[in-house]
Order: sequence, then C-alpha cells, then structure tokens
Amino acid sequence: MTLRELMPFTKKSVPVKRDRENPFDLVRHDMDTLFDDFFRGVEMEPFFGRHSERFTPKVDITESEKEIRVSAELPGINEKDIDITLNRDSLTIKGEKKEEKEDRGKDYYRMERSYGTFCRTIPVPVEIETDKVNAHYRKGILTIKIPKSAKALEEKKKITVKVE
Amino acid sequence: MSVTTKDIEKKEAKLREGVERTRSRRVYVPSVDIIEREEDIVLVADMPGVDDKSLDIVLEKDTLTIDGHVEETIPEGHRLTVSEYGIGDYHRVFTLSDEIDKDRINATVKHGVLRLTLPKTAAVKTRRIPVRAEA
Repeated sequence: MTLRELMPFTKKSVPVKRDRENPFDLVRHDMDTLFDDFFRGVEMEPFFGRHSERFTPKVDITESEKEIRVSAELPGINEKDIDITLNRDSLTIKGEKKEEKEDRGKDYYRMERSYGTFCRTIPVPVEIETDKVNAHYRKGILTIKIPKSAKALEEKKKITVKVE
Repeated sequence: MSVTTKDIEKKEAKLREGVERTRSRRVYVPSVDIIEREEDIVLVADMPGVDDKSLDIVLEKDTLTIDGHVEETIPEGHRLTVSEYGIGDYHRVFTLSDEIDKDRINATVKHGVLRLTLPKTAAVKTRRIPVRAEA
C-alpha cells in the first residue's frame, strides 16, 4: 500500500493499474462503489417514472440566416392548452395533453400513447426580436418562428482570408 | 409491483421480408390506443404532421392498413440544428375480427390524431336452415 492510497481525499480514478492482489483492497473498492452500482441504471424510475406515461414533445430546430424555427410534435392538443413564453435567451413551451373525456375509464386493449403535462425550455443562443415571434399549430405540429434581431445579424461577420 | 414502461420515442417500422420501399423516407409506427366500448371499438393514433388529405386508410378483407404521408418541413434556406423527431411517414397494419361491421367504419383526424371508430356487428346469430320435405 502506497502513501498515496492512504490519503482519503485524493482522486482514485487515475488511469493507473491498481493493486488488486490484496483482498482488502478489493473489498474496499466494492464498498466505495456500492452505492454507485446500486443506483446506476435505476435512475429513480419507480418514483418518477422516467419513461412511463409521461408525455414529452420532441422538438426539431432549424435555422436560417434570418430566423430560427422551432417545431414540436404535439399531437392531439387543444391550442388553448399550449402556453409559450419567451425570455431574452430561452423559449418555454408548456401544456397538457389530455386524455379524451369519453375514453376515460373505458376498457383499453392497448395504451401506447402518453398523456400529461409537459414543459420544455429551449435555449436561444442569439439575440431575437421578441415581439415578432409567431407560432402556429397545424396538423399536430407546433411551429414557432423566431426572427433574429438586426444586431445579431450584424454581429455575424465573415472573415476573409488574405493571401500574402 | 411492476413498473409499466412505455416507449415514447417514435419507432421505425419494420419491413416485411422481401418487400422494398419505393421511396427513400423513414417510416414510423404510430402509437395507438385501442379502446373497447359497448357498441364499437375506437382506435386512436398519434400521427403528428398528418391531415385528412395525406392519410390513406385501406381495408382489404380483414386487413386494415393505415398510411400517413408527412410533408418535408424543413423550409428553404434553413438547416437542421436540432433533430429529435425524425421526419417520415407512418405505416401500421391491423387485423380486424369478424366482430366488426366493415361497412360502417368511420375515421376522423384532428390535430394530428387519427380516430377510427369500428362499430361492432349485431351479434352473429346462428341461422337455421329450413328443411323442405320433398314429395
């Protein structure tokens, strides 16, 4: 056992082959990683249901010189249930996908669709014209057009390479 | 207690063996809820990007095929920076039982959700064949 290993606060993850011949070292290593191993892969799923039944819309973002376009897949949502807020540097889409009233409590043979509230925040990296943003919802897809501000357009400069 | 997990990602459709696609697009399997009610069975499918014109529902004998065509949504001059949902068509096949009245199937689409109503037939009655006595 080297002196380095006796020091409790040094990082042990240096890429050096450790002495595993000693059985006590093995036990200690197991104890060290016991909790990490236990929680790895579990990800608190029973409590929060990471994938189960929670609806999270998928987002595509496209960008052109003048604008950013965010589109989200939101099938079967009432446009009144969509709430879009815009900050200086982020865009938040909130809403709820409701189970249709007439279907509630009926006999489900299959239930693959998911319902529930959702909230997604998308960072906007450039300065934008907040008052010129428009959003429309069509065929279950929400499209938000965000024009970049004149300042942001100006800031983008092309650097020419000179030949000497 | 078992935790029911649901795959909320769009799944790509598998091809039947020996079948080739004629268009080079991705094809997804829409997520579907199937609900039984007293007089009908309701099938609800999430198909964002699809409307009444781009949907094709075909019933052939017992096979119900749903095809949805999604237009390309990347506008001119734009480039894709984040892509979480793939753009592609939808395809799913169902087999119907005799219980369903195939002439009265009704389909509506709203906000990218297809709703198929499959009415049940009047209970299949046993028919009696009259026997005529011949002289």
